[in-house]
Amino acid sequence: MRRYRGVVILLILFGLAVTLISIPQININALGIHFDRGKPNTPLGLTEGLDLQGGTDLVFQGVHADGSPPTADDMQGVRKIVEQRINQFGLNQPNIQLLGNPPNRLLVQLPGLSGSTINLAFAGNPVTASELQQYFQTTLNHPEATVTAQPQTSGPTKFTISLNSLQPAVTSTTSTEGHPSEADTIRQALAKKYPAVMTVEYPVGGNTSTSTAATSTAATSTSTSSTSTSATATSATSTPHYEAPTVANIQAVLGALNITNATVKQDGPWKYSITLPDLQGQSVDSSGNVTYQEALDVSVALGETFGPPITSSLTGELSEYNVSGGLAQIEALISHTASLEFKERDCASLNAPNANTPWPPDGLTQAEWAVQRCTNPKYYQEKATGLTGKSLKNAYAGTEPGQVNPVVFIQFDSAGAKTFYEVTSRIAQNGGALAIYLDGKQLVAPTAQKGIAGGNAYISGNFTAEQARTIAIQLRSGALPVNLNLIQERHVDATLGQDTVHKSIIAAVIGLALVLIFMSTYYKLPGIVASLALLLYAAILLAAFKMAPVTITLSGIAALVLSIGTAVDANVLISERTKEELRAGRTLFAAINEGFDRAWPSIRDGHMSTLITAVVLFWFGDRLGTSIMQGFALTLAAGTLTSLFSAFVASRIISRALARTWFGRRLTMWVPTGGVGLESAAEPGD
Amino acid sequence: MYIDVVGRRNAFLGFSALLILVGMIALAIPPHLNLGIDFTSGSTFDLNFTKDPGIAAVRTALADANYPDAIVQGAGGGDYLIRTPDLGENGLDAIKAIVTKEIGSDFTVPSVSSTSPSVAKNTVRDAITAVGVGAIFVMLYIAYAFRTVPKSYRYALAAIIALMHDVLVVLGLFAVLGRVIDAQVNAIFIVAILTVVGYSVNDTIVVFDRIRENVRLMPSRQFRTTVNISVTETMTRSLLTSFTTALAVLAMLLFGGASLRDFLIALLSGIIIGTYSSIFIAAQILVLWEEGAFERFKFWRRWTAPQAEQAT
Repeated sequence: MRRYRGVVILLILFGLAVTLISIPQININALGIHFDRGKPNTPLGLTEGLDLQGGTDLVFQGVHADGSPPTADDMQGVRKIVEQRINQFGLNQPNIQLLGNPPNRLLVQLPGLSGSTINLAFAGNPVTASELQQYFQTTLNHPEATVTAQPQTSGPTKFTISLNSLQPAVTSTTSTEGHPSEADTIRQALAKKYPAVMTVEYPVGGNTSTSTAATSTAATSTSTSSTSTSATATSATSTPHYEAPTVANIQAVLGALNITNATVKQDGPWKYSITLPDLQGQSVDSSGNVTYQEALDVSVALGETFGPPITSSLTGELSEYNVSGGLAQIEALISHTASLEFKERDCASLNAPNANTPWPPDGLTQAEWAVQRCTNPKYYQEKATGLTGKSLKNAYAGTEPGQVNPVVFIQFDSAGAKTFYEVTSRIAQNGGALAIYLDGKQLVAPTAQKGIAGGNAYISGNFTAEQARTIAIQLRSGALPVNLNLIQERHVDATLGQDTVHKSIIAAVIGLALVLIFMSTYYKLPGIVASLALLLYAAILLAAFKMAPVTITLSGIAALVLSIGTAVDANVLISERTKEELRAGRTLFAAINEGFDRAWPSIRDGHMSTLITAVVLFWFGDRLGTSIMQGFALTLAAGTLTSLFSAFVASRIISRALARTWFGRRLTMWVPTGGVGLESAAEPGD
Repeated sequence: MYIDVVGRRNAFLGFSALLILVGMIALAIPPHLNLGIDFTSGSTFDLNFTKDPGIAAVRTALADANYPDAIVQGAGGGDYLIRTPDLGENGLDAIKAIVTKEIGSDFTVPSVSSTSPSVAKNTVRDAITAVGVGAIFVMLYIAYAFRTVPKSYRYALAAIIALMHDVLVVLGLFAVLGRVIDAQVNAIFIVAILTVVGYSVNDTIVVFDRIRENVRLMPSRQFRTTVNISVTETMTRSLLTSFTTALAVLAMLLFGGASLRDFLIALLSGIIIGTYSSIFIAAQILVLWEEGAFERFKFWRRWTAPQAEQAT
């Protein structure tokens, strides 16, 4: 059995490799070891590159506003900020890395396509996140949809729905009427699914009227109409009306507007609820607010007929709808140069500037004024301080003795610290504030008790830990240290990728099969040995790719096919040498040994030169075409090394084992087709 | 079996010279090579329509979207490959909107690539550097691997000349194919060229290795005879390896996706020419050198004289 030890080891190795390949996902999580390899939904559980699974590759060039190249520190900062921005965007598993030496470019890889996100809200919260998710997954054909809810302190709950893609993704700002994109179709389906309820309540005793000038057609068509009013809420002289509109009255108004599917319910003597399914005339403004022409028409018609209601509200309808995730939006998000501005705020005077002026102004109470004079833009004035995001060295959340709530620590650089001292001295003196704006939106506007020297300060307030952290992040990520220009972009749709994967697998299998058939028929036994070695080669290589894990790209598959060539070459070289030695009259064993030894220098040098090429490719891959090159180089290198093992170790073991069997006495089976017949019988030796 | 390759070397050298000449002429005539956006900058994307609107409609839509210079190529079945100047951040959305308006919304954009001019400029430079650096390292390795053979630098230089021959032939081929089947030279083409470099050197090394071995076995034999014997001995291997590798690449070319077509053509031609050059160019240069054929050139004598002294 000892003489077959090598074969047994090879078989175990082969078995192990095949097992690793065939188990889609390997997940070991025991004894403190976390090992998680293999992906669901990919062939053999291999990790696919963006060109195969679908996704987007973006390369940004970092450059200072004055055109000077960024430092390594700048780019590290950029990387962190972009990471935060992308995470905030909610994209899955982005890969962000710096390119170049010293780094001056940023590669952002976003797998699984651009991943569209819908942000929406329904007035009056008629739906829960799980219901919505169910609806997206089953009815709207988005089984991958995930819905998260963010309850708001005021207003309806906001839902975020993450989808793989919307085809074609049209953002809400460019909604095209009449050509429903999927984003539009979904919006309409949602509006239909969750009907709007309009509740109207009239003042008991009916409305008053100053004129009948605005009598509408709707009004005249109802028999018990109250006199119309031109929607002026306040009127000095009035004639009371005591008859409340009936359900039929309201239905008549709706009927005049050609609304037939509405149901009207009387909730009280002067209170009605009108259910309006499938509201027509949707429109979405740039910030995602959805309005409905039909609802507007109804409320105008009702107002004209029955006079202005005390309350008239619409609930249940889709009130907000925002689609993001178009490629352009992600690009804009990443390269966006947010501006962090520090402004000195002068609040309006607490006391009247002179005795004659009524104070506080606008009929405010003293308590209201105390707050509003510093918070309402109407009353305060601001001026630039010269402090920018650049002056801010760091910002982080923490706790401070004497402060109950978490605070945000800020650090300015030396120049910034000087300005900061001057500004804080002034605002401490005149009771102003330091207003901090991110992209024109106020982040926080702290006051100061005294001038703060040294550039270290903290901002306190009724912050929760989460709020403090968010403010710190926003302060930190305020501005990118350099400008980012999009210089390269590759985007591959998931379906195209899948198509390529299938075609490539078929091609690779056909290629390998052709090679095996050819080798076996031409070289006979050595060819079969080589084929077995090649199969082992393929199994080990794939298992290694899965375990490493190496990302398989399109060019990687090409490299794989090419490395099959290298592996074949090694086997051909050995077979040819063995043949020559047999012809020279050596015994089979001697011929096999000699064949391997003589083929070695060629195989070594050939493999080395391929490895050198792979290394150069990998080195330049960083500069050229990003992922294409490096994937190719890595696969080629791995393939070349595995080929060396398969040809030199595996083939030799199999050949020697075969030579000891019955095959060892059939010398003609060891010589290629067309070879010279050999007479001398070889003895199996050790 | 003994093939007198050396005796017929003029025919092979002439054939190679002709191949390169044709290629160089094709390269010299504008538009030289059909360069992809990796080198020229710009954007490429696919427009796949469910119902084929016809190429004219697509062209009109692109012209209306302010891309009158867009190159539109039909790929059949309502699929179009479009090349435009760099689309920037909003160009594609604009095109999508116009196409939706004029043709309809039944289309997808399965892939988009863009490269800005600054990158494109660097790509050309980096590509040439990559090939050059690759060649130099391989040359150094050969000089090292053949250090036991007299005048090992000759082997290294001959291998590099064969390699340059292969690169020039493939480039020339693409200059021709760019006009005939619109074959493109892009970043992945550089990958192919570098692979051809590796492959060509591998082939050359196998032949040289046999020469190295035979020189050692029979040092007194005439060099041209040794080369002929070595070439004959490795001929089967060279042809077989080339054939099987070409078989695998051919399978990819025939059954794989269209996206790798040009890459595979470059590989296939590189494999064939690499095998050819290892036998008919690299080995012949060694013989020419050994027999002093280069001595008739004045510059050559001046250039090699000091080195020859060192080598002996």
